[in-house]
Amino acid sequence: MAQPLLKITNLHAEIAEDGTEILRGVDLELNEGQIHAIMGPNGSGKSTLSKVIAGHPAYEVTDGDILYRGESILGLQPDERARAGVFLAFQYPVEIPGVSVANFMRTALNAKRGEEVDIFDFQDELEARMGMLEMDPAFAARSVNDGFSGGEKKRNEILQLAMLEPLLAVMDETDSGLDIDALRIVTGGINRIKSERPEMAVLLITHYQRMLNYITPDVVHVMVEGRIARSGGAELALELEERGYDWLREEAGAV
Amino acid sequence: MADGTATVGPVAAVGALTRDQVEILTARKGEPEWLRAGRLKAWDAFAAAPMPTTRDEDWRYTDIGRMLKLEGFALADEAASVADADGLPAGLRAVVDESGETSARVAQVDASVVLREVPAELAAQGLIVSSLETALREHPALVERWLGTAVTDEDGKFAALNSAYWTGGLFVYVPRGVKVEVPVRSYRWITAAGTAVFGRTLVVAEAGAEVAIVDEVASDDFDRPTLSTSAAELFADEGAKVTYVSVQRWGLGVAHLSTDRLVAGRDAKITTLYTTLGGDLSRADVKCRLRAPGSHVDMLGVYVAQGQQHFDHETLQDHVAPHASSNLLFKGALDDRSRSVFRGLIRVHPKAQRTDAYQTNRNLILAAGARADSLPNLEIQADDVRCSHAATVGQLDEEEIFYLLSRCIPKAEAVRLVVFGFFAEVLDQLPHEGVRRELLRAVERKLARRAQA
Repeated sequence: MAQPLLKITNLHAEIAEDGTEILRGVDLELNEGQIHAIMGPNGSGKSTLSKVIAGHPAYEVTDGDILYRGESILGLQPDERARAGVFLAFQYPVEIPGVSVANFMRTALNAKRGEEVDIFDFQDELEARMGMLEMDPAFAARSVNDGFSGGEKKRNEILQLAMLEPLLAVMDETDSGLDIDALRIVTGGINRIKSERPEMAVLLITHYQRMLNYITPDVVHVMVEGRIARSGGAELALELEERGYDWLREEAGAV
Repeated sequence: MADGTATVGPVAAVGALTRDQVEILTARKGEPEWLRAGRLKAWDAFAAAPMPTTRDEDWRYTDIGRMLKLEGFALADEAASVADADGLPAGLRAVVDESGETSARVAQVDASVVLREVPAELAAQGLIVSSLETALREHPALVERWLGTAVTDEDGKFAALNSAYWTGGLFVYVPRGVKVEVPVRSYRWITAAGTAVFGRTLVVAEAGAEVAIVDEVASDDFDRPTLSTSAAELFADEGAKVTYVSVQRWGLGVAHLSTDRLVAGRDAKITTLYTTLGGDLSRADVKCRLRAPGSHVDMLGVYVAQGQQHFDHETLQDHVAPHASSNLLFKGALDDRSRSVFRGLIRVHPKAQRTDAYQTNRNLILAAGARADSLPNLEIQADDVRCSHAATVGQLDEEEIFYLLSRCIPKAEAVRLVVFGFFAEVLDQLPHEGVRRELLRAVERKLARRAQA
């Protein structure tokens, strides 16, 4: 087997502003095409891990490394990581007033591909992808995430995932704030994209097991206090659903 | 300096600002006595007024005496007329070529209007678009009736200077009920560094008339201080709809001082948009008077300052009559070591009950060395009104930038997109789609200078 797509070793990271350590030695390997879920209690560092992978400037890596396709990406800017194929679906997608979804998407796609995308091809593709996610075509003219409902914001994230065709999709609590219909559409979109591009690896960060009813992970990790405390198959998620996180916390504390 | 005596170098000896020069100017143009007297009176007001200092409330953040020395300028030369746009200076022709749909147009180079084109079908409806000098000859009664009635010698030293020295100029007259669907364009261009130009605009829209005017000034960059003073008077009579778009794209080296007065009559609607991009120093003093019930004014502004540019906008929403409304939104982005000043006042006179007036100024600071001062103000003497004002000075939102970066977009482009979106709220209010797109391009081009720097 070739090298893993993503290899995280002994990753330590802190909040740049005040030096609070959040990640305390994360180890993780994700192969091309795999789906891994990271679960864990609030405050365990799941979201921080996703932001550190994407290169958020609020965090500073103090030790360890993130290898993507065999090379460290710690020295890369967030946009360089994105162009290399790393995608982060935000837990709280950011509003960009005055910039339409279409303009935003086209600018992103031009940057990704390194060339001007044909405007008609682009519109066709955007419309088709929006259709898949059951989005109103008028959506394209609205300002990015500005006044969107929670469900619309998450669908917009999946739309970007579909358009930008990353190799690694990090989904940060994409299920949070979704009702059951929106969850079905969003997870359906992810599965559809995954079936079109089986080589894409997915790192699903979620607090609850319910998303895993729709997307079946190859591996489930549980993060506690800034480390991966336990890894297992899909059945681990069910166990967590039954037993909660406390027993793992106690185990981690005992170490 | 106040008496304008030439004290500096050969340039000043030829072109210094003096009362004699006003006499020479008005005699050479063979102007009527009322205008000659008006110019000289304006000169006297200019000469008598001291240079404003930062102790004057209006100039608190713009130290004009330090930024502008009036002694060194030569009067701009007269320029010869051209047959068509191809005859214009190359830089100006490029500006003209970028314009979208145009009905009538007038172009001024230095002291003279050199091009005037008015479609025959609009002329047949009574639309007048010409230089102000030509209008003085062809429509003297109209010019005498309106010129200098809204911009007076009480409007400050630089307005008085303009009234003494204006040449060329733009005159637009839209008769009762005539609707000009396509924008009228005016261009002003300076060719020589170290000169002073004095532009003047007079717009009269009679009852029920409709017109949009794009008044654009531009030049190359200059290596010496160069002066533009301008003044605009705009009258919208009962039910008239007037859109006035000012586009200031002077090159570096230019100091621009404008004094604009707009008057809205009963049920009239005026939309103004000030786009300030160029020059070293730009000061726009814009006052709208809601003279009669039912009038509505939208005052919009967009400015992008870079390098050491200093932009100062002073606005007044002057509610004289009851049942009128006004809405102001000025937004600016400031980069490098640039500065902006916004001073806005909503004044509601005692009889102006049922006034609705709003004022918002927002500034986006793009670099640590840039600074914006925003001073919104209300002066309300009526009790049954709805008025509010808001002002913000903020930085780029790091989360917005990170979001765009995470979508493959490089930093410089991400910043441009956010700034672009910031201005969309203003430009989207402009009723003319084509003009809106042109302004977006002008703003984009200015922002692109940032990425290259």
